[in-house]
Amino acid sequence: MRRALLAAEALVAAAALSRADGGAPPAATPAATAPVSIGCVTCHLALDDARVSPPARLFSEDVHARANLTCASCHGGDPRTEDMDAAHDAKRGFRGKPAPRDVPAICGGCHGDPAFMKRFDPSLRVDQLSEYRTSGHGKALARGDESVATCASCHGAHGILRVKDSRSPVFPARIAQTCNRCHGDAALMSAHELPSDVYARYAKSVHFEAMTKKGDLSSPTCNSCHGNHGAAPPQVASVAHVCGTCHAVFAEQFAASPHGKAFEDLGLPGCVTCHENHEIVHPTDAFLATGPDGKCGTCHDKDSEGARAAAAMYQDITTLKNATDEAKAALRREAEAGMLVTRAQFDLSRADEALTRARADVHRFHPYAVQQTVAGGLTIARTAKAEAVRLGKERAFRRQGLLVSLGLIGVSIAALLVRIRDLDGRRRRP
Amino acid sequence: MSPCGGRKLSSAAPEPPAPGSPLGWLKDRLGFEALAHLAEKKEVPIQRFSLFYYLGGMALFLFLVQAATGILLLLYYRPSAAEAFESVQYIMAEVPFGWLIRSIHSWGANLFVGVVVLHMVSVFFLKAYRAPRELTWISGVLLLFLALGFGFSGYLLPWNTLAFFATKVGTDVPAQLPVVGALLSRILRGGSDVTGATLSRFYGIHVAILPATATALLAVHLVLVQQKGMSVPPSVEKRPYRTMKFVPDFLLRDMVGWLVAVGVLAALAAFFPWELGVKADPFSPAPAGIRPEWYFLSMFQALKYLPAEIGGVPGEMIGVLAFGALGAGLVLVPLLDRKASRGEPSPWWNRLAAAALAGALVLTLLALRPPPGVAP
Repeated sequence: MRRALLAAEALVAAAALSRADGGAPPAATPAATAPVSIGCVTCHLALDDARVSPPARLFSEDVHARANLTCASCHGGDPRTEDMDAAHDAKRGFRGKPAPRDVPAICGGCHGDPAFMKRFDPSLRVDQLSEYRTSGHGKALARGDESVATCASCHGAHGILRVKDSRSPVFPARIAQTCNRCHGDAALMSAHELPSDVYARYAKSVHFEAMTKKGDLSSPTCNSCHGNHGAAPPQVASVAHVCGTCHAVFAEQFAASPHGKAFEDLGLPGCVTCHENHEIVHPTDAFLATGPDGKCGTCHDKDSEGARAAAAMYQDITTLKNATDEAKAALRREAEAGMLVTRAQFDLSRADEALTRARADVHRFHPYAVQQTVAGGLTIARTAKAEAVRLGKERAFRRQGLLVSLGLIGVSIAALLVRIRDLDGRRRRP
Repeated sequence: MSPCGGRKLSSAAPEPPAPGSPLGWLKDRLGFEALAHLAEKKEVPIQRFSLFYYLGGMALFLFLVQAATGILLLLYYRPSAAEAFESVQYIMAEVPFGWLIRSIHSWGANLFVGVVVLHMVSVFFLKAYRAPRELTWISGVLLLFLALGFGFSGYLLPWNTLAFFATKVGTDVPAQLPVVGALLSRILRGGSDVTGATLSRFYGIHVAILPATATALLAVHLVLVQQKGMSVPPSVEKRPYRTMKFVPDFLLRDMVGWLVAVGVLAALAAFFPWELGVKADPFSPAPAGIRPEWYFLSMFQALKYLPAEIGGVPGEMIGVLAFGALGAGLVLVPLLDRKASRGEPSPWWNRLAAAALAGALVLTLLALRPPPGVAP
């Protein structure tokens, strides 16, 4: 049986071997007929060795195994023979465990070849290797630093899964943990003069919350801002562009604002200056205030024009927020009392929109822009509040009307009872 | 009120209308002497269960309230999926006293069904269905079914989310019937699913078919009540009892009850205006806790407890057939309870009815429990 399996594998392995040196991609047979690397796997599993058996076990689920690539595709060697020495003969292309410095080239041998990759998935990118070479990792590796991440560091070596597979270490919800395997290692990071608390700070951010608690896989994680294969920290000048990939309106407003040019001149990173980079917490209106959460006071003196502008924007936004909250509470009271408030609530939702727009307009850094938006919202909120007051009066009118009606009904009942008593009395008399 | 005497005692003669009085004037011109004679002649027994006689009049009064408020609602209601919800919203928010009319109609519907059920229960336990009043009972039970039909068809008309999904569930029930079930459900819905076509159909049923049928049946019921007179329980009829004139003695007492009902309806409308909810969205998922009106809850809950299959037959089909058999049994009670027809006690029928009522009550209470994960 074992011989038969080995023979079956030989056809696949022979093709794979031909280009298993990292220079060009190996061949693959159609999925329906293809055995996996049975020769290598059979022996490595049978050995039950903690060093060589786990990779053989993991490989059965590997995306490459499913595409009919074999162990020899990356490791070289000859899986057609049962002889261990022959199978591991360097003359037959065996390279053993690739050194970190070789990994990008081995993976890139296939993943950089558009013609080869199209056979499996025409939509796959093929620029990973060239991107990697531009990354902090790639540059360090080129300098001979083998402690940096290579392909296998993130994707794994033998149980490589598709990115969209939730078990994959590079699935969006798991990327931060994967990066943290190295970037949370204080010793490793200090050697590179990098902070090791990035994950801890990111875990406090709105982005982490959206990703992990709300299950929003489009929420940014490490690679969204730093790139994945070309991972590098955004430069000061590009921070606004990076954030603007998602927060396009804010980025446009910021670029056109007085702060756009001033930040550039001062060499300040746009968004990060106020919002931090990894620990991006929920922004609050208090950012504009003078309290401990205030951001404007960091640069603007207390009596400066900038501080006054911030105070004006804070005042306007707070006024709209309070007016909207009051109108909501008033309508909620009427709804709880049974009044129909759906139309008023719908109208009031436009005040919420105005509040959101006003908060966005803060990025214009001009009180007039905020004031205009707030004015529209205030009109809506005050109209809704007036409607709640009208409904309250209507409710009071209904209850007064009910009292009057019940009074009339009571009088009518009393009259009827008197008449009944009178009739009964008359009939009892002989 | 007439004094005690024989088995059925005489009562005082009514006073004739004074010459030239409005009543006399109308009598001269309309010639309703026969009706007046009937009213003058009609007497109501006075016995320890007389209070239950008022339930029939109360049901009739609430029916008239429903008719009156329903006609007023018709002036503004628009029976289409696009406009139904908005038109009810308009009635509630913009039409003067529209909120009052709609709330009285909705609360009145529930009170009406409740009073009709109480009326039927009292008639059952007082054995008023026994000969010669079998047809009065049968017409009464059919009127109860029509009242339930009014409730079911009217529930959908505001076209809100709860009504939409409750109607989906409700119109699935007849689909469980063998052979004709699918066709029946399709006819009821006006298609394979609950849509605007269902709304138009339910509207037609609610404002034309059911009122016409109910009015005709009510007329038969009232004529039979007049012809056969008020029933006296077997335990009472063997002894002498007093009577009172229907007009004016009983009618005045009836009117006290009606005024109380008007007060209750007005208070409910003022303090608990009937909710409108959210407009139905056929593409949204059914919200948790969908359930029908309280008078269908026992059947709804019973269907939930049935297993998927009983002896190879779908459990729901067996349930629906069982409800049909119960309904038919209810109609035919006067013919099945032979002892009562002979004037003999029939305690087993009482026990059966008490058990059925207790079961329905328990199932209703179970159905009222909020589903897991839904706030009460």
